Amino acid sequence: MNTTTVSVRGGAFSTECIEAGSGSPLLLLHGWNGVIPDTMIEGLARTHRVIAPLIPGYGNSTGDEHLNDFVDLIYWGLDFMDAAGLKNVPIVAHSLGAMLAAELAAAQPDRISKLVLIAPFGLWNEQHPVVDFFVESPAGLAAAMYANPSSDAAQAAASVPQDDAGRVAFYYERAKSLRIAAKYLWPIPNRGLARRSHRISAPTLLVWGEQDRICPPALASDFQAAIKNTSIAIIPGAGHLPGAEQPQALLSVINGFLA
Amino acid sequence: MYQSPAERTVNCPLEPVADNKEGSHTKFEMFHLMPYRELPEDFDEKYRSVWVDIPSHLFKADRAHSMYNDTLDELEYGAAMGYDGICVNEHHQNAYGFMPSPNIMAAALARRTKDVALVVLGNSIALYNPPIRVAEEFAMLDCISGGRLVAGFPVGSSSDTNFGYGMNPATLRDRYYEAEDLIMKAWSNPDVFSFDGTYTQLRYVNIWPRPLQEPHPPIWIPGGGSIETWGWCVEKGYLYAYLSYSGFKRGKMVMDGFWNKAESLGSDMNPYQAGFLQLVAVGESEGEVQDRYGAHGEYFYNKMLHVYPGFSDAPGYRTLDTVKAGLLGQTTQFGQRPAALTFKDLREAGNIVAGTPDQVTEQLEQVIKDLRIGHMMVLNQFGSIPHDTAMHNIKLTTETVLPKLRHLWSDYEDKWWIKPMSAPQGPGPMYTPQLVAAK
Repeated sequence: MNTTTVSVRGGAFSTECIEAGSGSPLLLLHGWNGVIPDTMIEGLARTHRVIAPLIPGYGNSTGDEHLNDFVDLIYWGLDFMDAAGLKNVPIVAHSLGAMLAAELAAAQPDRISKLVLIAPFGLWNEQHPVVDFFVESPAGLAAAMYANPSSDAAQAAASVPQDDAGRVAFYYERAKSLRIAAKYLWPIPNRGLARRSHRISAPTLLVWGEQDRICPPALASDFQAAIKNTSIAIIPGAGHLPGAEQPQALLSVINGFLA
Repeated sequence: MYQSPAERTVNCPLEPVADNKEGSHTKFEMFHLMPYRELPEDFDEKYRSVWVDIPSHLFKADRAHSMYNDTLDELEYGAAMGYDGICVNEHHQNAYGFMPSPNIMAAALARRTKDVALVVLGNSIALYNPPIRVAEEFAMLDCISGGRLVAGFPVGSSSDTNFGYGMNPATLRDRYYEAEDLIMKAWSNPDVFSFDGTYTQLRYVNIWPRPLQEPHPPIWIPGGGSIETWGWCVEKGYLYAYLSYSGFKRGKMVMDGFWNKAESLGSDMNPYQAGFLQLVAVGESEGEVQDRYGAHGEYFYNKMLHVYPGFSDAPGYRTLDTVKAGLLGQTTQFGQRPAALTFKDLREAGNIVAGTPDQVTEQLEQVIKDLRIGHMMVLNQFGSIPHDTAMHNIKLTTETVLPKLRHLWSDYEDKWWIKPMSAPQGPGPMYTPQLVAAK
């Protein structure tokens, strides 16, 4: 696993990218929290060359100032695929990344071979609204994100440093990534995918953690109605981050679908 | 019962002062938030926020009727008693200050006041689509009032803009700067022009009416402590007003930041380029101060500022530089909600300047000098202060405090003040219909 930098659109974007494995390429897009668990990258790298870019504004990826709205982000995605030489690839993606992946597959259907959308955003259902996670406290958010809020990972996510410098640094990092998420998801994570999703031709696997208290699993049927060729996998014992809570179960359904 | 207005003479304690290069004086503007004064006693225990998701069943329209009329009366009284300006402002979906359209209040005030500056502080210009709506309404107010408008352009609080009006926090500031650019062009460009912005596109910009004041009304920028705003105000030549309830200490920190930035940009450090908001309560005696205002001050801090932290600072609302500087909003940090404050705490911390005339005069003089401000906005009605008490506070403040402080900063010229017409037209007589006798 190594970190590289990909120059996109003649250097307008310098995109931080994690790469691992060999073989046919696979594009891995992170979610709104900007985290990709190592176990996911390593697991997928057993069968693919994994390419996992960070969306501009996350981590060390630059060029966010060139992106004003979600349409701009879609074109960044297409430009990144050009720069990375990705022609006919599967995409595995989470939440915000899944919303982007669906748009890439609608814009250029011939270029995406398969889609794995984990807890995807992009459709709005008043009966099953995506939770407004922007307003949650770190503790409230951790409790909503994890199926098991008392796990070590959930507890770590819930804690805020007590000293002044640590607290300012914590809120700085939080503001930095959530600001980017807000640009594409505020105030409602719907940018019109339903008007374009008919173009998606890639076989699509919809994956939800059974206890996802951020992005309701009930949305799966809306995605199934919006995209032609879908199947659904529900991961027990996982919340909004199945890759963190149940990586083996998640890898198993993804590998089965991609094989 | 409705009573038609009778004329009433008040003894104005403040002599008119010519405001020109030789005679500028520190200005006092009476600010009114118009809070909802009758939230239940257990509001802050029972509900999470006074803003955004406050239950609507707590709103009683018949009580709001009184509160709106009381507010207008208080501002008109403040004007008659010699306040240099009267201020109204914009907030949404809250009980803290329920004037979603301050322009409606200002229009009512324009007809029943004269000479006083109408300080609309302001319109959150990024919320209007297209923003020339603000250019038009402000121009209307300036024309109606005979050139008495001060035009305030706030970004708006996060609760108002990002939550109440759904504006994207990541692009709000960019949208704000574009709106300011468009409004200033609409006011200053004599020709029809097109505007091709990121957020607003207009093929024909040609507002009618245009403002009476030349080249435009004074521009005041109410800031909440974002560090980028300091340099921007200095470069644009706009007044920077820090509206905070966090007391003198934080006020000093923010205003020092503004003045340091101004100095680094080669400003002449004119105090009239800065304003500050202060809660003020005056009583004849220590006992009266506590009895009259204590509970209302506590209501303001413990109920009106009871904002759920998640609604205080949408991610991206503050720039990363501001977050890094540690200038987070007072209510931003989860788990940091302060314990209920007492009136005594609030006086000691300087959140509320309360006391006898001499005590208040001394403290305000210190604030004016230490913060280097030529404009002091005064809240005489705050929290649950009822109408009669508010009127009493306005009377004592204007009679016993302000006359002793106006001379400050007379060696600087106030370039951020209104330029009214010399002989404006007032309202015509009020018509009283009488039923013609049946034949």
